[in-house]
Amino acid sequence: MKNFFRKMDSILRCSSELKKEKFSSSFYLHMFAYIFLWSFLYGACMGTYGGVWGERGWQLLFSACKLPLLFTLTFFLSLPSYFILNTLAGLREDFSQVMASLLYTQVGLNIILFSFAPLTVVWYLSVNSYSAAVLFNCFAFAVASLSAQILLKKFYQDLIFKDRKHLILLRVWIFLYAFVGIQLGWVLRPFIGTPNTSPQFFREEAWNNAYIIVLELIWKFLAK
Amino acid sequence: MKKWWQDLDSVLRGSATTPAGLENGDIPVSARGLLVVITILGMFYGLCMGCYGLLKVGGPNYWQMLATTIKVPMLFLLTLFITFPSLYVFNALVGSRLHAHSLLRLLMASLGVTLAVLSSLGPIVAFFSACTTSYHFMILLNVLVFSISGFLGLSFLLQTLQRLTIYNVAPSATEDENEAKFKGALDPTLRPIHFRVKTVFRCWLVVFSLVGMQMAWILRPFIGAPSRPFTWFRDRESNFFEAVFQSILALFS
Repeated sequence: MKNFFRKMDSILRCSSELKKEKFSSSFYLHMFAYIFLWSFLYGACMGTYGGVWGERGWQLLFSACKLPLLFTLTFFLSLPSYFILNTLAGLREDFSQVMASLLYTQVGLNIILFSFAPLTVVWYLSVNSYSAAVLFNCFAFAVASLSAQILLKKFYQDLIFKDRKHLILLRVWIFLYAFVGIQLGWVLRPFIGTPNTSPQFFREEAWNNAYIIVLELIWKFLAK
Repeated sequence: MKKWWQDLDSVLRGSATTPAGLENGDIPVSARGLLVVITILGMFYGLCMGCYGLLKVGGPNYWQMLATTIKVPMLFLLTLFITFPSLYVFNALVGSRLHAHSLLRLLMASLGVTLAVLSSLGPIVAFFSACTTSYHFMILLNVLVFSISGFLGLSFLLQTLQRLTIYNVAPSATEDENEAKFKGALDPTLRPIHFRVKTVFRCWLVVFSLVGMQMAWILRPFIGAPSRPFTWFRDRESNFFEAVFQSILALFS
């Protein structure tokens, strides 16, 4: 247990201990387990908005399952193209280190997000509107993803020092990840669950495109 | 089979196109093997692109999926087939030292790069196809993905050509230096290549892109408009640029 927390601490501090790590299959397994654990816990907190007893308990479980799904699916959808682009840029030898940096950042992102969990619950208890709950979560996600970007840059520092091309690829990764992540987040709604409705895993109308909806909103706003 | 994938891998890594590797003025990969690999990758992307037809109103459209799976590799190979003879003839006319088979390998390698990038973006396209109802968004996303991979493939072609010519012009003195510098397949070289050869290739790139776009237009539908029934080919109407422009307009209004 102590080791576990020491490990999490070293990820957040981006400490040099991590560089001694061997990139074996157990390393990857551990990383995904950490990602799953933290996002499961935050997802559960997200789902507590409408209460935790009775039928609403299902929403808690759904949200807890969906958040890990969001992070891992986004990661795996973006990975193939990132791998090919790294290879094409002549950086294949560094790819195991790149993978490790990306996974550490994912773990870091989820820990940061989880650190908001108590605040989220208190926020839920103190506000009475659904949109305020959504807004707070947006804030938490925004802060977590911005901090994770700083973390990613730290993990990438050695790589960038070795070859400047890593910096360009890092930006490509952030773009790819955000592009896929936003759409996947939209498809996997609801994470919080509108109160007074029965919990559901997917929304009926969820299968559409987030970017189109944003465009339509902007268009409506301009047309006014 | 494994050897062919290793060929593609060495092209992508750039180890097949280091100045030392290009010693004989030729890329050491098998054109036939790359042909098979390109076809498989193209079919995979076609499958991802055809996912849009699965969620069509009135039931999934498997025929469209099958048609797209066949059409994507066809698109690239037909374009190559149409533009290869003119490139070869002009290449020989300006006195380049590339022979027909090395030229073919060079083109196959650059198509390999294009299709590797294209198919690596396939999962993302498949995901968006599955959860997007807007036809115009899918058209623009696919055009974007094709443009990115085409751009990378053609930059690879120009870079490799540059390296091939460097070898032919100045064989040994700077080899070690070059070796250290060219780690990736797309890293630029400093020495300029022969002006005429470069011009021929630049012109060819434009022709290749234009023929490719027109070929895509002739072979359409790739995605399949949800409002229209499935056909293998559509009537001749409009053109590629007008259609893309219309899609942009439709998406933003």
